[in-house]
Amino acid sequence: MRIHDLRAVTILPLMALVLAACGTGTTGANKLAGGTATFAELPAATPSYILPMTSCKYFSVTNLSQFIELMYRPLYWFGQNGQVKLNSDLSLASDPVYSDGGKTVTMKLKNWKWSDGAPITSRDVQFWMNLYKANLGGYCGYTPKYFPDNVTSMSYPDPQTVVFSLDKAYGSYWFTYNELSQITPMPQHAWDKTSDSSPVGDYDMDPKTAVDVYKYLDGQSKTLGTFATNPLWQVVSGPWKLKSFSTEGAVAMIPNPGYSGPVKPTIAEFDLQPYTTGTAEFNVLHSGGIDLGYIPTESVSQKDSLTKYTFQPWIGWQFVYFQENFNNAINGAIYKQLYFRQAMQHLVDQTTWISQIFKGYAVPTYGPVPIQPASQFVSPGERNNPYPYDPAAAIKLLTDNGWTVKPGGVSTCSNPGTGTGQCGAGIASGQKASFKLEYASGTIAVTQEMEALKTAFSKAGLELNLSENPFNTVIGDAFGGTTTADMDNWGGGWIYAPDYMPTGESLFSTGAGSNGGAYSDSKMDDLITATTTSNDVQALYAYEDYNAQQLPVIFIPSADAALTMAKKTLHGWDPQDPLLQIYPENWYFTSS
Amino acid sequence: MTGFLVRRVAQSTLVVLGVTVITFVLTKLLPGGVARAILGVRASPQAIAEFNHENGLDLPAWQQYLYYLGQLLHGNLGFSYHLNQSVVELLQDHLPKTLILLTISTLLALAIAVPLGMLQAVRRNKLEDYFFTSLSFALYSMPPFWLALILIIIFAVNLNLLPPQGPQGAVSTYLDDPSQILGLVLPVMSLALVTIALFSRYMRSSMLDNLVQDYVRTARAKGVSTTGVLYRHVLRNALIPIVTLLGLSLPGIFSGALITEAIFNYPGMGLLFWNSSQSRDYPVLLGVTLVVAVATVVGNLLADVFYAVVDPRVRVTE
Repeated sequence: MRIHDLRAVTILPLMALVLAACGTGTTGANKLAGGTATFAELPAATPSYILPMTSCKYFSVTNLSQFIELMYRPLYWFGQNGQVKLNSDLSLASDPVYSDGGKTVTMKLKNWKWSDGAPITSRDVQFWMNLYKANLGGYCGYTPKYFPDNVTSMSYPDPQTVVFSLDKAYGSYWFTYNELSQITPMPQHAWDKTSDSSPVGDYDMDPKTAVDVYKYLDGQSKTLGTFATNPLWQVVSGPWKLKSFSTEGAVAMIPNPGYSGPVKPTIAEFDLQPYTTGTAEFNVLHSGGIDLGYIPTESVSQKDSLTKYTFQPWIGWQFVYFQENFNNAINGAIYKQLYFRQAMQHLVDQTTWISQIFKGYAVPTYGPVPIQPASQFVSPGERNNPYPYDPAAAIKLLTDNGWTVKPGGVSTCSNPGTGTGQCGAGIASGQKASFKLEYASGTIAVTQEMEALKTAFSKAGLELNLSENPFNTVIGDAFGGTTTADMDNWGGGWIYAPDYMPTGESLFSTGAGSNGGAYSDSKMDDLITATTTSNDVQALYAYEDYNAQQLPVIFIPSADAALTMAKKTLHGWDPQDPLLQIYPENWYFTSS
Repeated sequence: MTGFLVRRVAQSTLVVLGVTVITFVLTKLLPGGVARAILGVRASPQAIAEFNHENGLDLPAWQQYLYYLGQLLHGNLGFSYHLNQSVVELLQDHLPKTLILLTISTLLALAIAVPLGMLQAVRRNKLEDYFFTSLSFALYSMPPFWLALILIIIFAVNLNLLPPQGPQGAVSTYLDDPSQILGLVLPVMSLALVTIALFSRYMRSSMLDNLVQDYVRTARAKGVSTTGVLYRHVLRNALIPIVTLLGLSLPGIFSGALITEAIFNYPGMGLLFWNSSQSRDYPVLLGVTLVVAVATVVGNLLADVFYAVVDPRVRVTE
């Protein structure tokens, strides 16, 4: 079975356009032309970078999904009708065509134009690729051995065509969703220069001068006060261009009249407004000063009092976990035992955590693929929790494997060895089930979760010594590669972007850069490789089912990205994009 | 007087230098990797190495400090990890806003607290004194954030008279748009009300101390009117502790501004500090801490100088 026919998705955006044009939800109210729509930025999250080739320092939803991408469209756009899908309509190129058994990919650019009237061509893609290859540390999407290392040659036979030759045959779906997804054409005719005074040239063609071009553009992107006036940033491909930009994060955008995409903006201006805290934003929301904002979780019980607004949770394409250090000198041997990991996962009461800690606004996590928003990527097996909260089951797993369980105390290994019913390799007689878990301070929900976990662990005699440390400490230990770090929860998870297909090559393959716990399993490695080379959805399902069963990390609930409050007179914002992108070109107001 | 000034300036310089050492060491004592914390779980080894090199984090700590100090002497306070701007630029943007907020609220507080304290001292143990004492205690015991929220609920949400947030534009645009001035009213009120309570209590106490002094009795015996005694003799002497208090209060007022700015969404330096602490933006934290430390030292220096001007005994003692 093919995962998905890429061509079929072109029909869906057309349907969406028809629905939007019909004014869904307006209940007969007059559609108004123009107007200014305001969007509340998340607390202390203001745009600070404009160059689409974004380093990890600025690689955030705020900078990318809700600012840069409004002006600079990626070669392939993902996100459609609230689902994680290739959106052919909004992409700058037609769907990629794979040949040579999956070793060659050809992309045809559409005849779209930059805002200054110049055509968007393969030279603009080449410009991106040349800067990327010359500055690998400059773009956060880079993973060693993957894109662009896996592209052996590139050719640009005509202004509309880009051809990549790959080092081996990859699955077309994976390569499109996780590799080609990184490319954002940049206006070579305006940006290929090394200083303000230098003329535009072909500096990107030489890797040495390509470094200078990147440094120049990165430097220009560091002078926030000039974003709205710098001629570089006036040339855009997206539906919006900057009208004003304050260094505090207040942004005003106006429509790009030369936008070639299918949906042109109808509102006259789109404003991003910065907020210091959720409380400050909520105060303004109360007075009706925001068109699309959010309600802080702690205030969600008051949502019905805001009668001018519609409430809708915004669920992101992410999953949350914390990790054990498989190389820990004392407990590493315990973590390597599947039965023990299963026992620990049985002690995570996700249902209660979601209702009590997150007030219902979170999604359970059963494996590496988010089960919400609904997607074609979730296997039937991962839709159900393989290890529901069950202290009795946890105790049975431990006693069946040579542990003397002391609920409320500290369980010990009483039957060491590697045979059936024994504790497992490297676990000595009398070894205590005692663990250290450090978690990042500053988030009440994380503290509450860890306290609840400590209580649950004690039911099976697992002693959990919690320590609350600054984020720096926790993440430093988590990725420090030491044998002293034990369990670490830095209070975040993994967002699948710009690698939209939820394969685990960066996270769970042996030696992967983001595999902080040093998990290693040859079968997992093979299954991950299969997800990158196969077009069969069963390859992805096999990986995620195995992952959910093997528990390379402890899965915990994922809080909703935001609790959206939208003015009832604002339309076109729904459904919300799980990649947290916004589409103000679809928005319009009605009189009531 | 010159010797007194030289000694005070030298002491202040040493204090500021000490502050740079302490703030720098504190950030270095934080365990864990700054690079990983800033760049996130997705960062490649190349990105981590580049970040450490760009920010001098691959140098020994003492070299980092000397580099930091050298940059300070050249007016470079560093570059924000998150906000993508130099710390100096950030301070240029945010500091005037905080100064406006602090100046207006402090002047307003003084303008009300001084006569209020005088009134309470003159009308000691009368109805007015009891009323304003109770009001002062009530205001002073209120947490600033709570007072700010109460003001928002009353004036912005219920009465819809004032905006719930501070002005969002640049300082230079405040006078162009009356709504921006209106936006300052609630933040100024919330800061001033607490400060009025504090200053008026000190003023009352200081006035009471002075009203029983011999020089007051002498002035009265010489036939000076009550108004003359109060304004020409007692007020000047009673203000001395207020001057000292004003210098010492700067950090306290700044921390009050931090909370006020956060609640009123006012993009001043308090808010900058708040956001930077949330995002672990150490260069900004260091820069703001240094500026506040310098402001505090300078405030105290000015208070000392002013104290010496109004009270010659200070110079004699020195």
